[in-house]
Amino acid sequence: MPDDLFPRILARAPEQAVPLMRALIMSHGQGNVDHRLKEIIRILLARFANDKYFASLRSAKARAMGLTEQCIDDGCSFYEDDAKGFSAAEKCALRYADLMFLDANQLDKAFYDEMKKYWTEAQIMELGAFIAFHYGMQMFMRSLGAVPGPGHSDGG
Amino acid sequence: MLDEGIDNYAASKRFTPAEKIALRYSELMSVNPDAVDAAFFDELRKYYGDDEIVELGAFIGFNLGYHTFFGTLKFYPLFSPDGRLVSQAESTKLYGRCRKRPSPIPSSRR
Repeated sequence: MPDDLFPRILARAPEQAVPLMRALIMSHGQGNVDHRLKEIIRILLARFANDKYFASLRSAKARAMGLTEQCIDDGCSFYEDDAKGFSAAEKCALRYADLMFLDANQLDKAFYDEMKKYWTEAQIMELGAFIAFHYGMQMFMRSLGAVPGPGHSDGG
Repeated sequence: MLDEGIDNYAASKRFTPAEKIALRYSELMSVNPDAVDAAFFDELRKYYGDDEIVELGAFIGFNLGYHTFFGTLKFYPLFSPDGRLVSQAESTKLYGRCRKRPSPIPSSRR
């Protein structure tokens, strides 16, 4: 759950706000991909989008599951480094997010074949839709130049 | 009109200033988000209310994300332009060559 700024902005367009908020919350908090991995992916994308708002928020659920800031930083910037401890499946998912908006041409049949070694088709669709949706909302918030208000930096 | 809105909206006489700035918002969000600044929003507010700007921005963001994702999956419409149900192989031939378009935004402003 983001802080109250994003819902307040969306609420200017109430018909859009409800389905968008529902999709945002469900895609992050539910599904069959580890929530901690999704949280790293979400922050990786927000940093790439240069969206200070979503990049500053943190999932309380992921933190309760043991996700640390060090692990987030490692996952965003050094996930290919074996010393950082990410599994082959996690590396592939992080690469998927990284390449989606950096160089989508690399996400070809060979890439998806590699991904299917670690993830089911349902998980790949879950990841792809999660990546697409969150990046889109991050680009929107970037365009607004939004930043979290004081005391509102801890989403759940 | 669809092609003109994509390829040539800035110079076209078929679009109103309000439509042109909405198209420009869409274009900039993708190619130069830094150009969507306070001055741009001041201009946008001459034509749209805050509710419409939020609707446009969320719609553009949503489509920006999903079209990139869908593009990697290489799937195409089930129906041909004349309404026939077609295989993915045939649909790929019909729709698979996505043409590149010239940007109406001068390179100096991207």
